[in-house]
Amino acid sequence: MAAANELITADAIEATEFMDLSRKYHVTGVPKTIVNETIEIMGALPEQMFVRQALDLPDPPEAT
Amino acid sequence: MGLLSPQDEATLKNHLSVITLPVQLVLFTQAFGGSESGDVAKQILNEIASLNDKITVVEKSFVLDTEDKAKYKIDKAPAIVILSDGINTRMRLYGAPTGYEFVGLVEAIIVAGTSKIDLDPETMKWIQAVDKPTHIQVFSTPT
Repeated sequence: MAAANELITADAIEATEFMDLSRKYHVTGVPKTIVNETIEIMGALPEQMFVRQALDLPDPPEAT
Repeated sequence: MGLLSPQDEATLKNHLSVITLPVQLVLFTQAFGGSESGDVAKQILNEIASLNDKITVVEKSFVLDTEDKAKYKIDKAPAIVILSDGINTRMRLYGAPTGYEFVGLVEAIIVAGTSKIDLDPETMKWIQAVDKPTHIQVFSTPT
């Protein structure tokens, strides 16, 4: 995502090395993603679902 | 002795063969008060760089290289910043890149070295439409 848009920065953090940050963001399981300090995503999600949640986009309309 | 087995090295070398652009891996470590993971990170990066002559490792001090720290907005160490032909890709790794982080590092090197992003076209549209600073932090563990 960072490579595709210069406004995006992506950090991969080793949770056990940076325990203070893990505590700050209540990392109790991995992977856990934090976006702009406000959005939390638990676990590994399919690509589109992950990007929707990370960018706070509305859910797609349900298929009929 | 290397951290990568000869078999892993051969597989990795093959993966990295798609790279056409120079990739710089800028490693920030602390000589004093730092953890062992800085040494592990350095060894891993050097082993990766030895497999492809387009990949180089640039070592920086987290304590002394304050200008570079500010330039890449590094606030903890060990940290790895990935540059594509000298340009900051804004992909950073914190901690020793072992386990899942190793996979992420290799993928990031390939993106930086090919300028190709393997994402669905629709997802790419959403990402390219982002118009405000967005900071993504992904926490993982070695196993």
